[in-house]
Amino acid sequence: MNRKKDKGFESPRKSVIGYVELTIFPTVVNLNRIKLNSKQCRIYRVRVNDLEAPFIYNDPTLEVCHHESKQRNLNYFSSAYTAAVTAVDPDAGNGELCIKVPSELWKQGDEMKVLKVYIEFSLDQPKGGLHFVVPNVEGSMAERGAHIFSFGNQNSTRFWFPCVDSYSELCTWKLEFTVDASMVAVSCGDLLETVYTHDMRKKTFHYMLPIPTAAPNISLAVGPFEILVDPYMHEVTHFCLPQLLPLLKHSMSFLHEIFEFYEEILTCRYPYACFKTVFVDEAYMQVSAYASMSIFSTNLLHSAMIIDQTPLTRRCLAQALAQQFFGCFISRMSWADEWVLKGISGYIYGLYLKKTFGVNEYRHWIKEELDKIVEYELKMGGVLLHPTFCGVKEKDNPTPHLHFSIKHPHTLSWEYYKMFQCKAHLVMRLIENRISMEFMLQVFNKLLSLASTASSQKYQSHMWSQMLVSTSSFLKSISNVSGKDIGPLIKQWVDQSAVVKFYGSFAFNRKRNVLELEIRQDYTSSGTQKYVGPIKVTVQELDGSFNHTLQIEENSLKHDIPCHSKSRRNKKKKIPLMNGEEVDMDLSAMDADSPLLWIRIDPDMSILRKVEFEQADFMWQYQLRYERDVVAQVEAISALERYPTPASRLALTDILEQEQCFYRVRIQACFCLAKIANAMVSTWTGPPAMKSLFTRMFCCKTCPNIVKTNNFINFQSYFLQKTMPVAMALLRDVQNLCPKEVLNFILDLIKYNDNRKNKFSDNYYRAELIDALTNSLTPAISISNEVRTVDNLNADVRLILEEITRFLNMEKLLPSYRNTITVSCLRAVRMLQKNGHIPSDPGLFKSYAEYGHFVDVRVAALEAVVDYTRVDRSSEDLQWLLDMVHNDPTHYIRHKILSMLCKNPPFTKAEAADSSLCNEALVDQLWKLMNSGTSQDWRLRCDAVNLYYTLFGLMRPSCLPLPELGLVLNLKEKKAVLNPTIKPESGGRFESRSDEEDIDMDTVHDSQAFIYHQLNMLERPSTPGESPHQHHHHHHEHKKKKKKHKHKHKHKHKHESKDKEKERDARGFSNSPASGHSLRSPSLSD
Amino acid sequence: MADPAVVSGSLNSRSGGSKAVAGPAENYVLARRRTLQVVVSSLLTENGYESAEKAAVESLTEMMQSYITEIGRCAKAYCEHTARITPTLPDVVVTLIEMGFNVDTLPVYAKRSQRMVITAPPITNAPVVAKALSTGQKRSHPSHIPSYFPEFPDPHTYIKTPTFREPVSEYQVVREKAASQRRDVERALTRFMAKTGETQSLFKDDLTTFPLIAPRPSTIPYLSALLPSELELQALEETDSSEQDDQTDSENNPNNIVSDDPGADKENSVLPSGGVVPTVKSSEENVIDNPYLRPVKKPKVRRKK
Repeated sequence: MNRKKDKGFESPRKSVIGYVELTIFPTVVNLNRIKLNSKQCRIYRVRVNDLEAPFIYNDPTLEVCHHESKQRNLNYFSSAYTAAVTAVDPDAGNGELCIKVPSELWKQGDEMKVLKVYIEFSLDQPKGGLHFVVPNVEGSMAERGAHIFSFGNQNSTRFWFPCVDSYSELCTWKLEFTVDASMVAVSCGDLLETVYTHDMRKKTFHYMLPIPTAAPNISLAVGPFEILVDPYMHEVTHFCLPQLLPLLKHSMSFLHEIFEFYEEILTCRYPYACFKTVFVDEAYMQVSAYASMSIFSTNLLHSAMIIDQTPLTRRCLAQALAQQFFGCFISRMSWADEWVLKGISGYIYGLYLKKTFGVNEYRHWIKEELDKIVEYELKMGGVLLHPTFCGVKEKDNPTPHLHFSIKHPHTLSWEYYKMFQCKAHLVMRLIENRISMEFMLQVFNKLLSLASTASSQKYQSHMWSQMLVSTSSFLKSISNVSGKDIGPLIKQWVDQSAVVKFYGSFAFNRKRNVLELEIRQDYTSSGTQKYVGPIKVTVQELDGSFNHTLQIEENSLKHDIPCHSKSRRNKKKKIPLMNGEEVDMDLSAMDADSPLLWIRIDPDMSILRKVEFEQADFMWQYQLRYERDVVAQVEAISALERYPTPASRLALTDILEQEQCFYRVRIQACFCLAKIANAMVSTWTGPPAMKSLFTRMFCCKTCPNIVKTNNFINFQSYFLQKTMPVAMALLRDVQNLCPKEVLNFILDLIKYNDNRKNKFSDNYYRAELIDALTNSLTPAISISNEVRTVDNLNADVRLILEEITRFLNMEKLLPSYRNTITVSCLRAVRMLQKNGHIPSDPGLFKSYAEYGHFVDVRVAALEAVVDYTRVDRSSEDLQWLLDMVHNDPTHYIRHKILSMLCKNPPFTKAEAADSSLCNEALVDQLWKLMNSGTSQDWRLRCDAVNLYYTLFGLMRPSCLPLPELGLVLNLKEKKAVLNPTIKPESGGRFESRSDEEDIDMDTVHDSQAFIYHQLNMLERPSTPGESPHQHHHHHHEHKKKKKKHKHKHKHKHKHESKDKEKERDARGFSNSPASGHSLRSPSLSD
Repeated sequence: MADPAVVSGSLNSRSGGSKAVAGPAENYVLARRRTLQVVVSSLLTENGYESAEKAAVESLTEMMQSYITEIGRCAKAYCEHTARITPTLPDVVVTLIEMGFNVDTLPVYAKRSQRMVITAPPITNAPVVAKALSTGQKRSHPSHIPSYFPEFPDPHTYIKTPTFREPVSEYQVVREKAASQRRDVERALTRFMAKTGETQSLFKDDLTTFPLIAPRPSTIPYLSALLPSELELQALEETDSSEQDDQTDSENNPNNIVSDDPGADKENSVLPSGGVVPTVKSSEENVIDNPYLRPVKKPKVRRKK
């Protein structure tokens, strides 16, 4: 199958006109119906082999449940939504656009001849799929920096042109874009040529993508881009918006290193002939990877003066590039195989991190990711990497704990999907642990080389499926390459959700000189599973460090580990560590009878687990001081929070001062030290924690109250300098106030901050100083219901407010990079409000949240409004937020508002009964939002579902008037849920049942039939006259057609066509007879 | 004899005569001038005038003063010409003759009968010339110079004079000062901006104590948020100028490279070789074949069909 499109863009009208041409090789006889994916496109005509073909356009996801339905429970919605998505799922052979092959061609179809499908369509002000950024200023489109780019969550290409929107349907592409002469159209594949149109006012970009690629991996960006050819790799081209070229040059200056790294470890050349990076404003995601190009947020660009953004941008680039190999070039067989792609790309991205940022950074990152997934799974329930759907019944749902279905990428909560990716790469790492990295890379190389051999073949060779990875093919490669059986590992982590939770404790048996270790598991609470198998335990003794591998079995909790050394702490001898180093230790803190210094369970993180281990405080202190693994240090620090003693204080202070120590560990030590100091407040001696340390490290020798002029050339100390004041501000005295000394110290840091001699910008540092001021705030002593005025302002708060005012105002004159300072100031103001120092009022935040401010500022302001909504229970502001979800032009902001509302909800399920916010109007509004208001953005719809779940839970919201009794009872039994809506159409039920009986792909067809019938009334045929026939036919053919679809993946032929581009006149379409009938059905139910 | 310096001083003081408070030097000069005025007036009376306009008297006084001044100047010049420092009578006589005055008539005129006698001007001490700068010790003559030779000039004319106060070099004070100065400037500037534009306040009752400049949505918000401000760029240039160089070269303009080879070469030679930009790049620039750099093709004729 080959597609090509021609597009004319009109930015002011935000419309696109185009055509798609598909060449289909039928492999089954009587192919008389072709289903394609298409959303929100206005389709004018469809021709098959130059014959007009009738078509039905029917999108059940536009409105999931119908007006008349008074159902308001999420269970009902989720199942209906899943059914709707399934009904158009290309992997199941479905689609929104159903084209009837003209009967004249049926005979030809029987002979399995080529079918050419030609579709003319237009998009007018698309709400999804393509995003138009048109700044509202004077000047031509190019001068205004107007641009367009495609976006979407997973397979969303159907939003902007009709296609088979599946990751498993590969084909080659010829793409043509006609745009204004001042614009550049960047798309997938190689740019063959650029040709002016006759009037010389437009240009046509001709692209050719000879490597078979799935439609979801096709993208487009059009804009007056500045072009930068990579100085190291001329086949790589970077694009950015006008004026940003200097930033682009700097930000892209290391991209070649990432390229070299991946090509080297994969021993495989980058599969595409060229690579393009495009930086766009109002990006949907920071990074989105498409075949041979990536679209990034323009906010990743930075100048050489910016420290903090540099590693972040590099990470984003590395991620994007990893996905070029696994995700774009190698695609997936089905949604259930997604974890392999995400896992491999995440895993090789991790290898890049290790190489570029060091082993410490890598291990720290792994630890963070592990903590994240463990926390999520324990809280929300398991994340299942490889779901298998064998039954139709709801009770076979592999993830009953979730309020959404994981059958489709489009029904997933965004948070869940992020965790899914996180878990996927962690599992890849587990596989690496099992089979060694060498084999791992060999497997990747094998996948890639098979794919690249296949990619150069013609479709007829049936080789293209090699470019699709599936779980089974991946596992087979592993066993072929390594000869090892990783079945149990896969079963544990991939086929099964949840993580392991260990509790460990130990006792030392002096007589036997044996360590008695007890490891218990919690596998009953949500998100946990039982682990059986080996576990590594590392014991640091006086004589050295020893690894033990224990077997976790069903019933054995206790493990005896023989110790190697006798306790002999009087002998002065150096103690050997794991890494061979020998160090002197002060052993006076130790238990005299035990030779144990510290014990670590699963030090290599080779199980997805949470370990709660009990050992004495001095052991944690030894572990912090002397264990060289950053993960151990981090664990020790978190454990020491529980031991507020002078010894812990000393250990933390020593770590803080040690320059060889990893900076993230030192940063964490700052916060731990603050906590310990607060816990020890009555016995604390000396100056406030960290003050003298900071003075020694960063202040002038002669005048210790003045900080040195900034010099951030040493990044470790820069990060420490940034963090210490923030941690210090968390200190509290006996009255639970921030000590005056600390506040003054921070104010002095702000006062004496001098960046004139610095090579780097201090915007992040200043922002953190404001954060420090924010942290120092404590609730105001409030006299009941006193109105907050300037006069009764606390003196300290007045000083803080003075600084914030000045910073915020200066930012208007000299804006900082990414407006970090405004962001911190907004947070500070909200904190002042929240603590009752100044009157609580969302007005300020609302003005900063408006469209037209930098996105970080908007998010910070919105966060404050969300918080205000919760604290003050303001229905007006909740309404304001929801209006913004409806109307804001930036998709990211809409998504962000909903996810912030989920994190910090105005009320929760438990509070719903008491909250005045929870009323019928709100339920209706949210219901409408997820039901039909968000149909143009999969991600946003799932966000709305999440919010609905957070506020009302799965059941019918309590604030609604009681429905008829019968209906309520129906909700519990899930199958019965369907009844109320299908009520008018008993025929539909009948048919779906009959399908269930004799067709093996029941899941799909059941819901498909259901949807068809449900949406019967919404269907709009292409030509009114043919409609009844079409419809009838459709019912008739139902079963037969399904069988055919089953084979579609395997047999549909594809080949390349060499058609010429044809210009289309926009006006020609608007008069087309079919134009009014194909689209936007839900509103037509009149 | 009037000292020229004094006279010129008197001229100066006249212009500033309206000053309420006059120093001793001014008093001295004023007294002299008053005497002159009396002299002019008596001469007029002597010659039969009954009244005179003030302006006329003033003019005559001025004339007389300059005449006497000239005599004094010339006499001094004659005396110095002969290597003396104090004019003698012959000097004056020669001067008068030189000025075309018949000296012989002077005794007769002096002894005329109707002359009016005026009182001597009040004795005021000649003003001490204020030392411009009191620096160092005034040097006395060395032994080989006779005492009647002029004194050495003021020391400040020939020795190094520290004309400023001891600077505050103490680090703490400097930092303190710089910090408070910057803070004051920032405060004043932001307050000014707040006064001239729209503001927001955190308190409903008080709009002035903490005025916040109202945020204004920008049409292209990412530009100001991402691009370093000019100030920062300047600072960067000062600290490290070599870093900036790679931002000035232009490479994405194919026309430049193709049509303007010598120019491009020149530009490349200016580029520092030690910079971030690899030197290889400049030589390879000519051979970059990137589809986005290729010129746009004209439409083919056959398309017109």
